[in-house]
Amino acid sequence: MSEPLLKVCNLDVSFRSRGGETHAVRNVSFDVGVGEIIGIVGESGSGKSVSCRAILGLLPESASVSGRIEYSDQNLLGLDTEGLRRIRGRDVSMVFQNPASHLDPLMAIGAQVSEPLIHHQDASPTQALDAAIERLREVQLEHPEQRVNSYPHELSGGMKQRVMIAAAIACGPGLLLADEPTTALDVTVQARILELLKSLNEQHYLSVVLVSHDLAVVAQVCDRVLVMRHGEIVESGDTKQVIYSPQHPYTQQLIESQPSRMTIRPPVATDTDTLLDVSNIDVEFASPGGGTMRALNDVSLILRQGESLGVVGESGSGKSTLARVVMGLVKPKSGDVKLRGQSILQKRNRLDLSVCRKVQMVFQNPYDSLNPRYSVYETIAEPLERHKLVPATKLDERVAELMGLVELDSSLASRKPAQLSGGQCQRVGIARALAMDPELLIADEITSALDVTIQAQIIALLNRLREERGLSVIFISHDLTLVRSFCDQVVVFQSGRIVESGAVSGVLEQPQKSYTQELLLSVPTL
Amino acid sequence: MFLKVGKRLGHILPVLLGISIVSFGLIQLTPGDPARMILGNKASVEAVEAVRERMGLNEPVLQQYGNYMLNLVQGDLGESLRYQQPVSELIMQFLPVTGFLALYVIVLTVPLTILLGILAARNRGRWIDQLIRMTSVLGMTMPVFWLAMLMLRIFSVELGWFPVSGFGTGFVGHLHHLFLPAVSVSIYLIPVLVRNLRAALLEEMNADYVVASRSKGLPEGYIFRRHILKNASLPTLNLFGVLITWLIGGTVIVELVYAIPGLGTLMFNAILGRDYSVIQGLTLFYAFSTVIITLVTDMLSALIDPRIEL
Amino acid sequence: MIARWPKSLRFGAGIVLLWLIAAVLAPWLTPADPYAIDLDNTLRPPGGDWLMGTDHVGRDVFTRVVFAARIDIWMGVMGVLAPLLIGVTIGLFAGYFGGLFDSVMMRIVDITLAFPFLILVLAIVAMLGPGITNFIIALALVAWVSYARLIRADVMVVKNAEYVQAARTLGFSSPLIIFKHVLPNTISPIIVYAMTDMVLVVLAGASLGFIGLGVQPPTAEWGAMIADGQAYITEAWWVSFFPGLAAVSFGIGLSLIGDGLARMLRIGDT
Repeated sequence: MSEPLLKVCNLDVSFRSRGGETHAVRNVSFDVGVGEIIGIVGESGSGKSVSCRAILGLLPESASVSGRIEYSDQNLLGLDTEGLRRIRGRDVSMVFQNPASHLDPLMAIGAQVSEPLIHHQDASPTQALDAAIERLREVQLEHPEQRVNSYPHELSGGMKQRVMIAAAIACGPGLLLADEPTTALDVTVQARILELLKSLNEQHYLSVVLVSHDLAVVAQVCDRVLVMRHGEIVESGDTKQVIYSPQHPYTQQLIESQPSRMTIRPPVATDTDTLLDVSNIDVEFASPGGGTMRALNDVSLILRQGESLGVVGESGSGKSTLARVVMGLVKPKSGDVKLRGQSILQKRNRLDLSVCRKVQMVFQNPYDSLNPRYSVYETIAEPLERHKLVPATKLDERVAELMGLVELDSSLASRKPAQLSGGQCQRVGIARALAMDPELLIADEITSALDVTIQAQIIALLNRLREERGLSVIFISHDLTLVRSFCDQVVVFQSGRIVESGAVSGVLEQPQKSYTQELLLSVPTL
Repeated sequence: MFLKVGKRLGHILPVLLGISIVSFGLIQLTPGDPARMILGNKASVEAVEAVRERMGLNEPVLQQYGNYMLNLVQGDLGESLRYQQPVSELIMQFLPVTGFLALYVIVLTVPLTILLGILAARNRGRWIDQLIRMTSVLGMTMPVFWLAMLMLRIFSVELGWFPVSGFGTGFVGHLHHLFLPAVSVSIYLIPVLVRNLRAALLEEMNADYVVASRSKGLPEGYIFRRHILKNASLPTLNLFGVLITWLIGGTVIVELVYAIPGLGTLMFNAILGRDYSVIQGLTLFYAFSTVIITLVTDMLSALIDPRIEL
Repeated sequence: MIARWPKSLRFGAGIVLLWLIAAVLAPWLTPADPYAIDLDNTLRPPGGDWLMGTDHVGRDVFTRVVFAARIDIWMGVMGVLAPLLIGVTIGLFAGYFGGLFDSVMMRIVDITLAFPFLILVLAIVAMLGPGITNFIIALALVAWVSYARLIRADVMVVKNAEYVQAARTLGFSSPLIIFKHVLPNTISPIIVYAMTDMVLVVLAGASLGFIGLGVQPPTAEWGAMIADGQAYITEAWWVSFFPGLAAVSFGIGLSLIGDGLARMLRIGDT
């Protein structure tokens, strides 16, 4: 192999704060060859983004960085601000996770792509704009001539990410640092952006460092992969080798936690009584520009007792709205929801306890779903107390029992949400729902904000609850592989409609509709 | 654009209607008979009756409001009992002085606000930031009239640098006479704006797009001017609009201390003399100016920010 | 617990506490009767028997400054409490339930905000007649809108938070959700704003006293006392200076509390 383009040696990063020093990255060394794509994988707090930002000196002032970072024989850590500025955007550039917040909302996108050309190549604004149009064409943004005058808020998430990539490659850099570039995007958009990165790599010999929490994404495009944990590289090597014969126990755990690799044996539903019957639901919302927007269009589905029904679809497809209709949080324009043959839409509005108790919900955002001022104990005890579900003398006992059920240590009872991890918060949310002793649990993207190893634990918990308590579950997720391993039945949503439904084995193995096929093809798997 | 402004004007019509109801309703707050309040206890029943007749107080409330609105749309704000002159004429007579003072304050305030705001934000936590913060707290807690009196004593009486009172003659004369009043108001205004600008700048300096701009290799100065400052100007612009409207009303007391013949003095005299139609008319005028200034601020914000729809 | 407070909060609370003590213990802390006229000793400079000098009718300025704290603190507290209670209640319910009540209330807010604050207060007091009670009535009529607007904006966010949605799915009643889940999570910015607002109210009250629409003579109030000294500003600066200083120090105390609370509760960036 020829001389590497980027050489990182013994990189150490720590942050000073009032509480002392935190070591974010320890002794990290790797290199990137010309035209190579390497992936850095790790869970939150593993130091993968910090390492990436350290290369371009983009860390906040409180960070102290040591080691060597060489880009074509130049030590980037030894450069002053001006020297570093000359490298940034010209030789090494970067794209970020959230395209919406990384573009200036007040500047037209053409100007934002032109900026590096003006500052690095002394291009005139008109020349730069012409070049910007070319770059936008290269990243496959449609109608670049007209789009240059658009503002970020007028573009979709995927288009914004293309703009950010166009700006990053404007000056023809040798190395592109991509920090979770597809995490905020839908899976079909993610697939196209990954394709784009791959083609830029092939056409321009552009080296890419792809940082991601998703091992499957990295496996799909990278030649080599580094696995990071707690600021250190635990394993590195050829992608295939790392995935098929992982050496480090953490890498093994990471791979086992992948939804496609999870070994879950969902209990087979024996009772075939219909539990929930949703028929012909229409929901309309007033749209901001006036008029109405149809969030759900003639949606019907059936859930039998003990079943686990997966609801999949991309953002805005209406899957969360469906959950809110069943929970009585959103009033449908027409249609009916029946629980064991009895309509519950009207009862919901009158706070009918018999209905509330039977159907419960767990929410997406671990921290947002718990009242920040309530302790774990107070959160779980509140429904028990308020609805007098247990006598006052048995309250403590029952709360402890529920905490045990979701595998929460009893020492956490007095903690507030801010003192808990994301996974612990979700367990509290599940315990709170179980306090009502429900027959049906609606889980709305409950693992989408969690790390993959934590996700695996929560899914295992949910599965155990199904087995032990005969709980029926509506499992809403954007992740098809997760639904495949956890659910018996599945419905696929697109723009407020159900496009396909049936048994998981049928729909996800032999999809009939082209949309389901596209979704399945877009999902990166190991 | 014109269509949008037209639509927006449609939105403020109900507000204008509400404003007219409030200023009309003010007179209903007087304990007892307004005419009696104006003339005092010793006036004869006939005299009171005459004033009631002239003010239209003998008609039902709804009809009074109808008449009030009818006059209003013709630009008639009623007549001052004290000055024996239409209120609208009075306002036009006293307005230029207050307008001059307000502009003077703006000219003093804006450059200093921008300078101090940027200075504080860029040196966050250092001594200069602390100093600006401490002085700000002081500026915001000082009673304007107290400060005005102290400055009057020091700079006018003792040092003789500035006139003690009045509006002066000629442009330079106005500038000279109104310097201390304008400074007194600015000392309150600048801290409020600086705090706001500083907070907005700090927030924008930590925004993601700043890191992204840095990753493109743009110079720091350029990022600050083209990206940070522009984004931070939006909230401050809005606050500035609010403060200008405050300014029109807030000069009342400063005008009194420095004996400046502006709207504030007119208001004060009207209050002392129970000249109700002047109080009503002025209140209405103040509210109307507020609505106009808010409209202008919103339009300016929309020019800067493509996301805002009028 | 106090040890964990930010420095500015401790300092501000100290100043305000001193003024509270001074107001309560006024008769025991002062050497004279605040209303005792002594025409032999008018406009005496500070020093000797008179710590802060005497005014134009020979009253002891120090005594009056301390006694005035009673009125000014009372004005500040009532002038904030009344609008706060009205505004928070209206904003809370309007924000949570939305609908017609919300639309009507927000129109009223828009209209009230169109009037410059001091002008509207002045106009209302002018109509009602001078005095502190009328000043507080005027404030209650005008200032609630800021509280209502502030808390409504937060309620609109919190009511869509998942923990509030969760509370609804658990079958809790609306009042319970509003008071146990929504209010505690939206009240902090209101408390911080109330501190800033109290500075404004004390200043406005003093302004009214200054132009003769606030407390009536001979009651001691900082604004009115400053006005008393206006005619003598050239020969007896102390008559106006010390009441002003008192108002400034009280205001600084409140501002620092506001700053410190904002920092402690992490509201905005200070």
